Amino acid sequence: STDESDPWWNAFSASCKEMNMTLKKEIFPAATDSRFIRAVGIPAIGFSPMNRTPILLHDHNEYLNEQVFLKGISVYERIIPALASVAALPNEA
Amino acid sequence: GGQSFPEGEDPSVSLFRDYLRLRTVHPEPDYDAALRFLDRIAEELELPLKKIEVFPGRVISIMTWEGTNPTLKSILLNSHTDVVPVYQEHWKYDAFSAFKDAEGNIYARGSQDMKCVTIQYIQAVRRLKARGWKPTRTLHLMFVPDEEVGGYKGMETFVKQPEFHKLNIGFALDEGLANPTDAFTVFYGERNPWWITVHCPGS
Repeated sequence: STDESDPWWNAFSASCKEMNMTLKKEIFPAATDSRFIRAVGIPAIGFSPMNRTPILLHDHNEYLNEQVFLKGISVYERIIPALASVAALPNEA
Repeated sequence: GGQSFPEGEDPSVSLFRDYLRLRTVHPEPDYDAALRFLDRIAEELELPLKKIEVFPGRVISIMTWEGTNPTLKSILLNSHTDVVPVYQEHWKYDAFSAFKDAEGNIYARGSQDMKCVTIQYIQAVRRLKARGWKPTRTLHLMFVPDEEVGGYKGMETFVKQPEFHKLNIGFALDEGLANPTDAFTVFYGERNPWWITVHCPGS
């Protein structure tokens, strides 16, 4: 869920907001392993921190700029603690 | 082995380029090379690495950083290790050399899909460990084969096995796509694949 009341989405999107990142919510145009994870009832977000980058997956001359790559590490350095610190949910008490 | 640290390059970039050079390319991905790489990372990070052979030669590896409250549901950081084939004649550089040009663009199959994310998870965890942070919820980094050919010998089968359920996952991150603008794309759902085989009988 991408509802602000969802604790996982909230942790994810709030940490992105703190880093002044603009998020664009979409449905994935193809298919990934996430669909199997969602199928067993686990919420999953598809996210690769690559902005200012042409979409070249599966294409010739696929590349990524090293600065975009390095910025992505810092992004996860914020997102991972936010997710790992989500308070106990009602069904976990 | 195979480690290289070109002068002045960020070690995270060097690690990324090392991983891009592993030929985990279909139709015969060198998964053993990926497993050896992950063994090395697990040793460096001092995190246990569990390996589950879902099909012969198709191993799922899970690196686990146990949380301070392991009864809570865990966080999954998922990535696949395989990449799609290349038509090398259409590439400016060797698709498995991880060539970096003067602008810092790193050319390689898997640079976007999705070896970047694998190394970003690993380096973020490495930095968090180095500064003494500890997760409350357990973190699992999962490295999966077979995504690019449908996931049957990977995630599709694994999610139905008891070992997957024992991970007690509450939320998962997996790959997205690049965005040419300033924004970052986030996917909250996806289309279902519906693969068909077309037979063309002829004389």
